[in-house]
Amino acid sequence: MNRKLGSRWLLAGVVALAIAATACGSSGTNPSTSKGSITVAGFNFPESSILAEIYAQALEHDGYTVTRKLRLGTREVIGPAIKSGQIDLYPGYAATDLEFYNSGAGEASGDVNATVQKLNTRLQPLGLEALNPSAAVDQNAFAVTKATQQKYNLTKLSDLAPIGNQLVLGAGPECPTRPFCKPGLEKTYGIHFKDFKALDTDGPATRAAFANGTIQVGLVFSSDSDLNKLNLVVLQDDKHLENADNVVPIIRQKVASDEVKNVLNKISATLTTEQLVSLNGQVELNHQDADAVAKAYLQQHNYFS
Amino acid sequence: MARRVFLDGVDPWVNWSWLSSHVPTVLADLEQHVVLTVIAVIGGLVIALPLGVAAYRWTGLRLPTLGTFGVFYTIPSLALFALLVPYTGISGVTAEIALIGYNVLILLRNVIVGLDEVPNDVLDAADGMGYRPLARLLRVELPLALPAIIAGVRVATVSTIGIVTIAWVIGLGGLGELILQGYIESFHTPLVVGSALCVALALTADLGLAVVKRLAVPWARPA
Repeated sequence: MNRKLGSRWLLAGVVALAIAATACGSSGTNPSTSKGSITVAGFNFPESSILAEIYAQALEHDGYTVTRKLRLGTREVIGPAIKSGQIDLYPGYAATDLEFYNSGAGEASGDVNATVQKLNTRLQPLGLEALNPSAAVDQNAFAVTKATQQKYNLTKLSDLAPIGNQLVLGAGPECPTRPFCKPGLEKTYGIHFKDFKALDTDGPATRAAFANGTIQVGLVFSSDSDLNKLNLVVLQDDKHLENADNVVPIIRQKVASDEVKNVLNKISATLTTEQLVSLNGQVELNHQDADAVAKAYLQQHNYFS
Repeated sequence: MARRVFLDGVDPWVNWSWLSSHVPTVLADLEQHVVLTVIAVIGGLVIALPLGVAAYRWTGLRLPTLGTFGVFYTIPSLALFALLVPYTGISGVTAEIALIGYNVLILLRNVIVGLDEVPNDVLDAADGMGYRPLARLLRVELPLALPAIIAGVRVATVSTIGIVTIAWVIGLGGLGELILQGYIESFHTPLVVGSALCVALALTADLGLAVVKRLAVPWARPA
């Protein structure tokens, strides 16, 4: 009887060990001859995965061994990870990153160069560096429908000042109190709207209100993938009301050799908001994979030639 | 930078052409999910078994051990992952510390309860047959506690399969990665596939462990 009990116990143990053994079988990667290893990270939204893949594939093409840590959570995860050297590079956003590393001191502005300069002052002591910012921005923006744009011949936000009293603004319910929304439009641009509709921040309600004509001007994000599809046009923020959230590579100084900087600066030099909208659309609307979209982008811009 | 994509068309629950071209991704996520779960349950058992035996022998240990892991259990997993990143990094270690920690509480309780429920007359009989304490523990008490322990393993396994999905915060979500993708992109297919596989995995694991229990504890079968 005792022996029998023992063997049953043993059986349970063996089963457990067998499962453990299968589980622990790890795959090792042996680095071949390469110029060095770089770990690229991205946030958990498609645009970040695409940008991280563009950086990663361009660096790989240049001869670096790249490890990807994509779809990580927020800056609260990525910040400590890059400070401690677990990741080397991520696609940052100038103003948002500045306000993260300065703990919300309010230094960011609509001036991208000043914002990146201040960001670098904060990054320097951490052993980090922000490279050249791109022209591509993912920030609060105000859009109108193509019909409205043509009717009033609009290109920039200042164009709204004389006709604001004929238009209705739609945004999240917090807009009337936020300096970058209604108060900012009034103070910086002198736009006084006929009415304000509290909707959502860049969500389905805003889009529905555009479609049925409840609003003529709405708050969106400048790199939203569905702007083209919905016939929405972003008006240029010509007086720099919004903080400059230009896409900018944030990198550890240890891996930021001149060659690495060249590769990344070359990408930033050509990236635009329109391209970002199109890249996001390929992933969010057409459900292509971020790596394939990034590869096509690099091919199209002759990075591989 | 949260965004919601407005879908004017109808997104089918499962887009089969997307699925057929993403089988390797789905399988890799499934594998990661299984690996994280198995390590978490076995790791939990490795800690909970000796601790449970100790707490069974020396009752003074019960309050501190159950208390410590009870407090650990109340820390939300999302917060725990974020808190651990500065120390253990974006790695499997971070995920497993959280997952194993949760499992220890579940398993510890069941080990103690299982051992407590071994009838006194059985212990007396074992003593009468000349068992020394260690042999009595290994050959009488633990085998008799096995049904309770396996019941704990079942609960731990199923709950771990659910919690693993949240490890996407550190890029290790297994099927949670698919669920997250579906949520962010308002894309039903990965959401439905990820969730369905998660449920299937939990059911399979629970059923499998029920079979293990049947094999390991034949005397508990109804006659």
